[in-house]
Amino acid sequence: MGLPAMFDWNSVIREVVIGATKSDGGTRAVSYRIGGGTTLPFLEKTPKPPLIAFELCDSPQYWSPIITNYCGDVVNSPAEWAKTAGSAYGADIIRLYLTSTRQRNYSDFEAVKRTVELVLDATGLPLIIEGSNEPKIDSEVFLKCGEAGQGERLLLGTAEASRYRSIAAAALAYNHSLIAQSPIDINLAKQLNILLKEIGVPQDHIVIDPYTGTLGYGFEYSYSAMERIRFSALKGDTDLAMPMICSAVDSLSVKEVRDAEPGTRDTMAVAWEFYTGIAAAAAGAEIICVRHPDSIGKLKEAFRSLAHSKVPTGGD
Amino acid sequence: MRTVTFLPSYRKIDIERGKTILDAAQNAGLNMNVVCGGQGKCGKCIVYIQSGKTEFDRQKYLRFFTEEELAKGACLACQTTVQGDLQVFIPESSLIQEQKILIEHRDQKIDLRPSVRKFYVELQPPTLADPSPDLTRLLWGIQKNGGPAAEKIYVPLEVMREIPAILRHSDWKVTGTVGLVPGGYRLIDLQENDTAKRVYGAAVDLGSTTIVAYLWDLVEGKVVGVASNYNRQISCGEDILARVNYARKNGLVKLQSLAIESVNTALTTASDNAGIDREDIYEVVVAGNTVMTHMLLGIDPAYIIAEPYVPVVQRALSVAASRIGIACNRNCGLFAFPAVSDFIGGDIIADILACGMAGQEGVSLLIDIGTNFEVVLGNREWMFSCAGAAGPALEGGEVLFGMRANPGAIEKIVIDPETLIPSYSTINNLKPRGITGSGLIDLLAELFAACIIDRNGRIDTGIGNPRIRIGAHFPEYVVAWAKDTDINKDVVITENDIKNLIMSKASVHAACVTLMKEADVTRHDITAIYFAGAFGNYINKKNATIIGLIPEINPDQIRNIGNGAVTGANIALINRRERKTLDEIANRMAYIELNAEPSFMDEYTMSSFLPHTDLTLFPMVQKMLDACRIKRV
Repeated sequence: MGLPAMFDWNSVIREVVIGATKSDGGTRAVSYRIGGGTTLPFLEKTPKPPLIAFELCDSPQYWSPIITNYCGDVVNSPAEWAKTAGSAYGADIIRLYLTSTRQRNYSDFEAVKRTVELVLDATGLPLIIEGSNEPKIDSEVFLKCGEAGQGERLLLGTAEASRYRSIAAAALAYNHSLIAQSPIDINLAKQLNILLKEIGVPQDHIVIDPYTGTLGYGFEYSYSAMERIRFSALKGDTDLAMPMICSAVDSLSVKEVRDAEPGTRDTMAVAWEFYTGIAAAAAGAEIICVRHPDSIGKLKEAFRSLAHSKVPTGGD
Repeated sequence: MRTVTFLPSYRKIDIERGKTILDAAQNAGLNMNVVCGGQGKCGKCIVYIQSGKTEFDRQKYLRFFTEEELAKGACLACQTTVQGDLQVFIPESSLIQEQKILIEHRDQKIDLRPSVRKFYVELQPPTLADPSPDLTRLLWGIQKNGGPAAEKIYVPLEVMREIPAILRHSDWKVTGTVGLVPGGYRLIDLQENDTAKRVYGAAVDLGSTTIVAYLWDLVEGKVVGVASNYNRQISCGEDILARVNYARKNGLVKLQSLAIESVNTALTTASDNAGIDREDIYEVVVAGNTVMTHMLLGIDPAYIIAEPYVPVVQRALSVAASRIGIACNRNCGLFAFPAVSDFIGGDIIADILACGMAGQEGVSLLIDIGTNFEVVLGNREWMFSCAGAAGPALEGGEVLFGMRANPGAIEKIVIDPETLIPSYSTINNLKPRGITGSGLIDLLAELFAACIIDRNGRIDTGIGNPRIRIGAHFPEYVVAWAKDTDINKDVVITENDIKNLIMSKASVHAACVTLMKEADVTRHDITAIYFAGAFGNYINKKNATIIGLIPEINPDQIRNIGNGAVTGANIALINRRERKTLDEIANRMAYIELNAEPSFMDEYTMSSFLPHTDLTLFPMVQKMLDACRIKRV
């Protein structure tokens, strides 16, 4: 790049391993070692573009119709969907939302275990699993996920300051990593990491989710929080020296996408996801999550050109 | 008109239909607990209607009542209107009770240089050979007896008119009282015979909650009486804002007269205890916050509380006490401390005088904590100040079982780290009814040290202990079982209470850090921390550090100066020269508006953690944590 990258940085972002191949005791076809950065991603000598995680769920009735329409019948089987995400969409990671558990008095925890096992069988990609968001059942949900994915180095989500014990317990018991999410604030991010450290979660098992607002809908706050987190880490704050994950889920429900003509809605959705993703990557995110399959290829192309010092062409 | 009868006291009052029960109670002279100023926000004014017609939207305020209270027909006095003749039962918990107020006197070596002195003179009666006028004769006599030069003494007309009769009636043996007022010397009183030993002055701390008055013998230089009582304005709203709003709505007159009445009650109690005549009180020095001082003097405080927050007057004021109705000598002077800003008032200037930080080379941090807090950082060369809202949590508000320092309030707590059983002491050793601010600080520190809560203040519900449980809305820790209390309820602290406490302590700490950054000093540069305010006197210094209320320094350098406002007022009363520095201190002090300080929010978030996000700022706490964690594992 043309910038003289002179920063007073002397620290390294801690590496977190996601997914375990056979040699590491798992069944994944690939595993990733994310982090390790010493500066901003595209200023590295050998730039390491972010990984792209495709988000899917096991109960799609609340998923955006843009996505369910685009993906078709495959959405009714999380295993099939995960398989397609790897083979057809080109994702690096699968992020499975256990939306089936997000209902009143949910108690079928064996089903959770089954779903995770089916998805693991269907794809060789590493897995991120999102639980129920309900503290009362989350410990059970995470234990089942943890158990089903034992040895697979899953990334479990999402720990927050108000509820982190159950997910941390599952991560600790089965040697998984976890996502620590805080609401767009460097200090809150740091505090959560300290809380996790103090109950024994190793720091190389934590990925920071700084919370991502969609571009034009608050992303500038996320961007500056991410920038501060990363700069502090590179200056030596070990409590913040973790890789970051960004998921701009609101991209699919912003006004511009919602109100788009039916014929252009997919293009709009992809554009919104794409620009948010590229901005998050520039701020230092190691994993970018998307929901629209078309966003994956576009982001990859952009990352490639950024990494090779070419001017990215953006969407088309 | 409707008649409301209050039980159990059987006090009766007639009131217009449609007025609230709170209005009726206030008119009947009952001091009800209205933390929110009668807005239906605090739920502290619960009463039970025994008979009669009222209007009250119970559904709207359900959250304030237990099932048991609902079954008995509980309602909020401030939100219930009188529709017919009523019988209303007021439980003790809804009344303001006798409070533990700090009235300890601190010995300070201050030279006795009062601004009022008496001179006993025996004059030669006039003759044809010496026909000089009465006044000349009197003033010359005073000058000869060590008083100021005769031509420098101004004599007000009402005293002038009395001179001939008093001189002749007393056979020319009189005592003249000369006061030093801003315009110069003034003959403020003339009495028959020798009364020179009877010169008294009062130093008053005019707090928004309590009034404390010290009565001094200004000849001997000693305290002869002390009294304290509630600020009667509480019945118009607990906090300053509520009272200013009350004044806006209903006029200033009531609030001013309540303030005067409160001061007069304190002066009367003190002088009665000392066995002196209030006529012999010749000077009153008042230290109060900006709004209180305005209200006492009948100056409109409305512009202080809204942007751009401008007080009417900042400088020290000397006025005639009788003009505002203070019950003492008719020519008694009143000296009111100067203020710095809307929030840094005369009480803080008095704190500064009391702790002596304005004369020291080392940097001191002064913290006065109440619902609002004020922080001053500085030394003899410079000073920074700021003020903010700590929220009522540190005084027991917004905490389920928080209460003021009334009898039965838990004020000290220690938790056994093994059994998690607390031991506590209460005010007057009664069965517990609630927890005071200092008790809450202890509790927070002890919960933290025993690893019951994490650094974010979340209770670890995984700990198998009957005292740790999930309450109706939040996880909670049981401090006292119902059977051991005076209220037949388990006294608990909830996770929500803890959150409120952490927010309160975080704002105080963040304010300290903001001033330190402004002055470019670190905690290593601070040679002393002074806690002021009645609350400050009971704070456990170690626990205040453990929770991160204050920057960590050597605990030996932390001092509780107690009621600095009254100490400062005492100093200014007995040595008039000390007053000269006050306007200068007020002028020298830079006021930092925290809301306008971009880094404040960041500091606040960092401080919203136990003890702080950056543990390296709290090395002693870090050691303590490491030690107790090892013990637990």
